[in-house]
Amino acid sequence: MTGVVLRARGVARRFGSQVALEPTDVELRSGEVLALIGPNGAGKSTLLSILAGALAPSDGAVERPEGGRVGWVPQRPALYERLTARENLELFARLERVPDAATAAEDLLASFDVPADRVAGTLSVGNRQRLNVAIALLGAPPVLLLDEPTASLDPGQRRRLWETVRDGTVVFSTQNLEEIGLYATRVAVLQRGRLVFDGSVEEYERVHAEEVFR
Amino acid sequence: MTRVGLLLRKDLRVLQRSPLLVALLVVYPLLVAALVGLVAGYGSSKPRVALVDEDNLPAVAQVGGRTFRIADAIDEVGKNVHLVRMPADEAARQLRAGRVVATLTIPPGFLAELRSGLTSPSLVYETTRGGISTRVTQQVQALVYSLNRRLQSAFVRADLRYVRLILHGGTATFAGRRYDVLGLDRMHALLKRLPPSPARDKVADFARVAGIALGQTGNLLSSTASPIGLRRAGVKSRSSLLSAQVQAYALALTITFLALLLAASAIAAERDENTVGRLARGLVSLGEIVWAKVLLAAFVSLALGLAIALVFGVIVEAGNVIGGEPWQRLPLLAVGVVLAGAALGALGALLGALARETRTASLVAVLVVMPIVFLGLVPKEVAPLAGWISEALPFTHAVRYFASSLYDADPWATVGRELAWLAALGAVFGLGARWATRRLLD
Repeated sequence: MTGVVLRARGVARRFGSQVALEPTDVELRSGEVLALIGPNGAGKSTLLSILAGALAPSDGAVERPEGGRVGWVPQRPALYERLTARENLELFARLERVPDAATAAEDLLASFDVPADRVAGTLSVGNRQRLNVAIALLGAPPVLLLDEPTASLDPGQRRRLWETVRDGTVVFSTQNLEEIGLYATRVAVLQRGRLVFDGSVEEYERVHAEEVFR
Repeated sequence: MTRVGLLLRKDLRVLQRSPLLVALLVVYPLLVAALVGLVAGYGSSKPRVALVDEDNLPAVAQVGGRTFRIADAIDEVGKNVHLVRMPADEAARQLRAGRVVATLTIPPGFLAELRSGLTSPSLVYETTRGGISTRVTQQVQALVYSLNRRLQSAFVRADLRYVRLILHGGTATFAGRRYDVLGLDRMHALLKRLPPSPARDKVADFARVAGIALGQTGNLLSSTASPIGLRRAGVKSRSSLLSAQVQAYALALTITFLALLLAASAIAAERDENTVGRLARGLVSLGEIVWAKVLLAAFVSLALGLAIALVFGVIVEAGNVIGGEPWQRLPLLAVGVVLAGAALGALGALLGALARETRTASLVAVLVVMPIVFLGLVPKEVAPLAGWISEALPFTHAVRYFASSLYDADPWATVGRELAWLAALGAVFGLGARWATRRLLD
């Protein structure tokens, strides 16, 4: 995996008789920011879940960074609603084997400006999403997978989120085409569970975006 | 702390933040246990039985020279069954419809046959099949036994009048004719007036021996009619509400309800809160997630089980109830509570993983608790199928373990067997839950 930090070979996923993702190959090199786009139901979340290890592929395999986990921000926040923001961060930090869980949680709470001692279920949508992202950053994962991370954020929150994560190796799905030009270095397009395009932003821009989402 | 320990601590913290839920989880099964006890008590005391009087019995009847109040006899039966007088056709209809569990018919000529003392009349009894018919049959048999006991003393008294007549002589009426009976005493006096002879002496000797033998007739008749008597001793015993069986049922019911519901909803909540995917990406294995829920159920069961045992114990001690509370057995009870909680937690985790959503999981758990408990309450001899099914569920084994660990003089055989059952059932349900947990990721 020279330079390649994440590789999926022929990963596919079926739910019963329904094919959510056809056999797909994806590679991610260190420092790349890959935008994963496509219409609803195209298989973006399925591919990201498989890359994260949250969903087992029906076929194929994923090679992840040696000894390391990838950070995963699911589209719907994955956190315990009856725990406070701090308790959520500390719990996941301990599960991630972060050496000083309390300090790591404190640092992330400060960076993301999330009310520390409020129960997560009572946080605003934006704060919950920021907490969702903060949990994914615990342990400083070498790769970050973001599933429509800015869908529920206001413009200021989006900007702050990207300032936090853009320097790493990132795969993000989005319906916001503006984010591709601003943050992506590469684009992959999924349609009906099939990878139909994988190339540079410039190559992608030569294809009309409306064609992609048709 | 291990990853399972971290998840367990999280679940306990979440539970701690839901005091209303915890209170409901504790109060509800105890309430159900009390209601079940009330219904069972009511059901066992008054099954409805039709009484068909085709002989038109009078309010008062003379049998063997003794007066019987028929209403008193019916009241006596009414302590155990609710006797309802009705015509024969109505009784047959209600029996077919299940409105009465049995019919008891007094056939025509019953009283005349009884008064004659020549043959034994019969009451005719019909009942439904299965259900509580066995118990009702026993109660009707008890009624006939009670009537026979009353009649027996009247008949013995009548028989003794005849014996006294043979002994002492006098006048008697039999089959409508009046007789003057000599009697052994007067016969003896007459013999003394005869000239002495070996024949006279032999007859006199027979009369003497016959008099002695007939003098014992009263006791002999009584003991022949009732070779074995039953006397209720006035020893103070513990109220059935505090009996070993009730304590065991209350404990098992509460733990069943609590463990099933907690484990089912806790594992389904991991999917509802979308955390199962985050955990499953290498942080915690699916097996560890199941373990955490099983331990949650076991831990909460232990805390609640000991609290219930403590409350029972305090009531028993405060009431100075005979037998006392076996405090030294609490550690043994605790072992069973933990294992029963774990086995039921594994079953709950299986249900929760299959249901996938917290609301559905809670509903399924509540719906499953009742059949599990009621199957465990049905005696195997009444419904063998129910018995076999309940053997495959932890509730029955928990009840047996709790009752034995608290009150058996030598509980080890039962305790060991039921522990093995609970461990085996827990392992089977745990493996099932581990398999089903994959569904949470879909």
